[in-house]
Amino acid sequence: MSALAKTRYFWRSAAVGLKHSPFVHFIAVTTIAIALFSAGLARGSARVLDNLLASLGGEVEVTVYLAPELGQDEAHGVRARVEELSQGQVTLVPPDAALERLRTELGDLGEALSELPENPLPAALELRVPPEQRTPEALQALAKELRALPGVSGVDYGEQAVERLTAIARALRFGALVAFVVVLGATVVIVAATLQLAIYSRREEIEIQKLVGATDRFVKAPFLLEGLLQGLLGAGVALLGLWAFGRLVGPTLGSLFAFLLGPGVAAPWVEPRLVLELVGAGCGLGLGGSFVAVGRFLRV
Amino acid sequence: MIQFFHVYKAYPGDPPVLSDINLSVEKGEFVFLTGPSGAGKTTLLKLIFCAEKATKGQILVGGRNIARIRESAVPYLRRNIGVVFQDFKLLPHRTVEDNVSFTLDVLGVPRAEARDKVRRMLKLVGLEHKADSFPLRLSGGEQQRVVIARALVNDPTILLADEPTGNLDPALTVEIMDLLTQVNIRGTTVVVATHDATLLSRYQKRTVGLERGQIVSDEDGVKAARRMVV
Repeated sequence: MSALAKTRYFWRSAAVGLKHSPFVHFIAVTTIAIALFSAGLARGSARVLDNLLASLGGEVEVTVYLAPELGQDEAHGVRARVEELSQGQVTLVPPDAALERLRTELGDLGEALSELPENPLPAALELRVPPEQRTPEALQALAKELRALPGVSGVDYGEQAVERLTAIARALRFGALVAFVVVLGATVVIVAATLQLAIYSRREEIEIQKLVGATDRFVKAPFLLEGLLQGLLGAGVALLGLWAFGRLVGPTLGSLFAFLLGPGVAAPWVEPRLVLELVGAGCGLGLGGSFVAVGRFLRV
Repeated sequence: MIQFFHVYKAYPGDPPVLSDINLSVEKGEFVFLTGPSGAGKTTLLKLIFCAEKATKGQILVGGRNIARIRESAVPYLRRNIGVVFQDFKLLPHRTVEDNVSFTLDVLGVPRAEARDKVRRMLKLVGLEHKADSFPLRLSGGEQQRVVIARALVNDPTILLADEPTGNLDPALTVEIMDLLTQVNIRGTTVVVATHDATLLSRYQKRTVGLERGQIVSDEDGVKAARRMVV
């Protein structure tokens, strides 16, 4: 018995199968391609969302208000301590600079500030938090530590905005995951149903194979290969679609949402990792569908 | 070669198809199974190549008890048994050569070797010139010869034929039966199910009569032929 001869037979038989029922296989390949294209789009969108969060996170600034009675040396001392605790970039904003900034921000109304008998603004430290500390939990913990420092009268970091953004991102990710699982499940069912049609049209061949002594594995192998080929073809079509989408629609989307997305939007939609993931998922879908389909036709 | 010991076959809710079958077929023997439609001939053949399982009793094929055979071992048993059907069971979209080669594909025989074997087998059944034809282009007799070639190409020790001439005219019937006789002379055990009495008188082989699922006669060829004439 030759394993090579059998392998050749399996591939030949799988190719004949694809040729034998082109429409049925076209439907299966298209279904896989649509599912993987959607998955690829979701993956790309998730990456854009990550970029968005990172860019908004970069704007998260923690303002540490210093006690009014603090002298300049003491303020520098607190600044060094804050730098040490946060590992971030700290800028000392003296009361005069703070008042001047407020005056500029208020525009015409800023003149009213001249009427004040004395500067009410305290000195403050503006802290740009490093990326790894931009989660709500890390920011909360950092704020708690900073509040406990001597010479600090208050800490503000836009707590609610950060929490909301993170919650939205989490919900979107979860929704995408659920949708992805549903689409994958539906795809396996559709692929299995179409493959069953293809297998049904070859039931006579299966019956004869079984009668002349073919094992179940031997009968299944070409159909599993057909599923695998469908998965590969589906993944190829999906990747081609994503590449075309990235080339044709990507730049337009990028310019439309440039104000939100910031850097990273120009990144290619088809990356090596995505190629591997979609090819793997395609093979899994094709094999899964054919595995489900082939089982019930083996009883002779 | 084939032994049945008190074999029964029944389907739930129906009377038994086979009852208390005791039968022994020796190696190299040629046996006719005869009887009216519904007598149980096809079921008996199906039990031999494990297309059906006996409800009760023991069946030995080549010394192996197939009443207790595991599902996974059935394909290996079938590789030693060639089966010829009345309705041919040929693949219409494959050539004669591919149809015959089908059995060897299952065994993983390399293509060149398979091609040689198939050509030799087609020569034996007189169809070497039709290797590239499609089955539907052949006559009934030629199609049945392709089936016989497919059944014999891997040199099985047993050949089972279920009404192999049922769809053929008298001339083609003789052609096919002569071929089965030749196969038997080469050493293959042949069991033919038929209800055609003229075959029994012409070929004078051991004849086992079945009626309503029971063996009612088991005669040598001459005796059976004589009874047919009377």
